[in-house]
Amino acid sequence: MDARQPRRSGRGDWIVNLALRDIRFNAVRFLLTMAGVGLLVTAAIGMVGLYRGIIADALLIVRDIGADLWVVQGGRAGPFAEGSAVSATLDRRVEGVEGVAAVRRFVQFNQQFEAGGRSLRATVTGIDHPADDGGWLRLAQGRGLSAGHFEAVADESVGLAIDDVVRLGADDHRVVGLTRGMVDQMGDGLLFVTINDAQAIARRRTAEEVLLARAAGNRSGAATTSSVPQDSKIAAVLVALDSAADPAAVVAAIRRWGDVAVLSRDDQVDLLLNKRLWRLRVQILAFTSVLLAVMTIVVSLIVHTMTLEKLHQIALLKLIGARNGVVVSMIGQQAMLIGSGGFLAGVGIAHLVFPLFPRRVEMTVADLAALFATVLAIAGIAALFGISRAMRVHAREVLS
Amino acid sequence: MTRPPVLGVDGAVKHYDGGGVVRALDGVSFELHAGELLGIMGPSGSGKSTLLLIAGLLEPPTAGEVRIGGQRVSWPGADLDGLREVRRRRIGFVFQKPNLIPFLNATENVALALEIDDVPPGPARRHAGGLLRALGLAHRASSLPARLSGGEQQRVAVARALANDPPLILADEPTAALDSVRGRQVIALFRRIADERGAGIAVVTHDPRALDLFDRTIELSDGKLVGASTGIGGLVLQRGLSEGDVERR
Ligand SMILES: Nc1ncnc2c1ncn2[C@@H]1O[C@H](COP(=O)(O)OP(=O)(O)OP(=O)(O)O)[C@@H](O)[C@H]1O
Ligand SMILES: [Mg+2]
Repeated sequence: MDARQPRRSGRGDWIVNLALRDIRFNAVRFLLTMAGVGLLVTAAIGMVGLYRGIIADALLIVRDIGADLWVVQGGRAGPFAEGSAVSATLDRRVEGVEGVAAVRRFVQFNQQFEAGGRSLRATVTGIDHPADDGGWLRLAQGRGLSAGHFEAVADESVGLAIDDVVRLGADDHRVVGLTRGMVDQMGDGLLFVTINDAQAIARRRTAEEVLLARAAGNRSGAATTSSVPQDSKIAAVLVALDSAADPAAVVAAIRRWGDVAVLSRDDQVDLLLNKRLWRLRVQILAFTSVLLAVMTIVVSLIVHTMTLEKLHQIALLKLIGARNGVVVSMIGQQAMLIGSGGFLAGVGIAHLVFPLFPRRVEMTVADLAALFATVLAIAGIAALFGISRAMRVHAREVLS
Repeated sequence: MTRPPVLGVDGAVKHYDGGGVVRALDGVSFELHAGELLGIMGPSGSGKSTLLLIAGLLEPPTAGEVRIGGQRVSWPGADLDGLREVRRRRIGFVFQKPNLIPFLNATENVALALEIDDVPPGPARRHAGGLLRALGLAHRASSLPARLSGGEQQRVAVARALANDPPLILADEPTAALDSVRGRQVIALFRRIADERGAGIAVVTHDPRALDLFDRTIELSDGKLVGASTGIGGLVLQRGLSEGDVERR
């Protein structure tokens, strides 16, 4: 009874951490709440990651193939945003232009085929072997193309394995390498063959389509959406410029022919992002904002409910004379813990779940950091609402 | 020269607006001295709790004033939020419900009252432990409130009220939720605190069984002081108010 009153430290704002003690006391509830917030964060990561993934997939070829200029069919924005077909010998004409260091032929089309009893789908992409050594392929296993014919490098997502033999067109192709993460803008895995093989496959297909169309009584011939609607055509010629060349002069020189269009790499990127994928991008971003709005509301409600549940204790703290800082830090810390705990849970779930998704979900550090800042901001705003409610509590409410 | 009273309430009036004015307190004055245990009695609705709220700086009076340690601290329109430090250091509260923080154990609940007053946690806990021991709760020091009986919880609440060694303790029906034996124990505890620490303690109580422990009681009715008594060693003498008070009624 006569224990002496201990000294005040004078400076100390040290106090038993009420926020953490409460969390420990209600651990299960807190963990469930965090998991709930975490799932919302996972969904947000997924939306943003899907957006990034679609862009990365769409731009993959344009970026990786390393062409300075794309020479395509005249009047077309090909070969990605629109179809394009140019003569298979256009490369020789382009090669002669002053300032051009190297040329490659490019062709790409979708193909369904049977392999090992399964029906598979891939985007056949021609590599101008040996002008193009295929060094830009993201090989995960095996090797690149080394023979002029009947070899293939498939992306893992196609579903083939090394040494599988697939019949494309009239010929068998042996899979010699597997790439990882190389898909087209629709997410179909790429299947690389030499450009001559690709042309043969396309030719065969065109022939079949013509026959089918004739059988159906359609005299106008093949109707196809492929970039190579006719025989012995390719989609584009890729140009690597001399380091000393003036790109504008080269473009102008080729354009003067009148029968082709010339697009720079930036033009292709712009076409893909702002024309071809425009609606999809806006759609995903709109969904992302809806999701962030939902997250804001849910997190705010959680923090607010937590505050309401503690009004009695807050009133008690005021009654025994606690400073506002004690109450503010209790609410603020809990909101931040729920925010950051939820975020970590969300990132964890995302890393577990998204690799199993069929399309790329790209999680960049910058996006995660921005999302973390957003979540903390939401938690902070929610805490401010909770705190403003707590400040209106009267100490005498302890008694009610 | 005598020391000023621990608590002085002067002409306290409290009106509540709630569809017609409720005169909860109608000009109540009293003083409480160091070492004194005062009982506040009266029928339900007579204004006892209101008086304690005003004395405890939780409500401002509509008229009148409150002095603590001779210093005028509350008056109509006073900023009670700014009086937290006075509440923290100079007043201990005990209510009918113990109002313990459910996620802190007994020691931490008591230490909290010190920690919010900048006492470092180590010394605060030691002091809290000492208080709990003094109140016979050493074996319950690390129990959460939910594990304590009603009487034990109330004693923890008393320990919390004592933690800052306040000169003034205000208790509103602290025994109402307890059986008569436990109830008397709590009042006896207040008696001891008043004697040993010299605190001035005002206790609102309905329970006549522990009246012998009080130094004196005052009685309220309809917001007015209607009686006072002095208890001396178990003998309770009833006496009327001054003629002036009676006249006013
Ligand atoms: N916040 C309030 N608003 C309106 N009227 C109130 C308020 N608080 C108390 N009153 C009224 O003031 C009067 C005195 O109330 P008070 O709580 O002080 O009585 P009491 O003596 O403590 O009663 P009890 O013994 O039942 O606790 C009552 O008529 C009550 O209805
Ligand atoms: Mg009352």
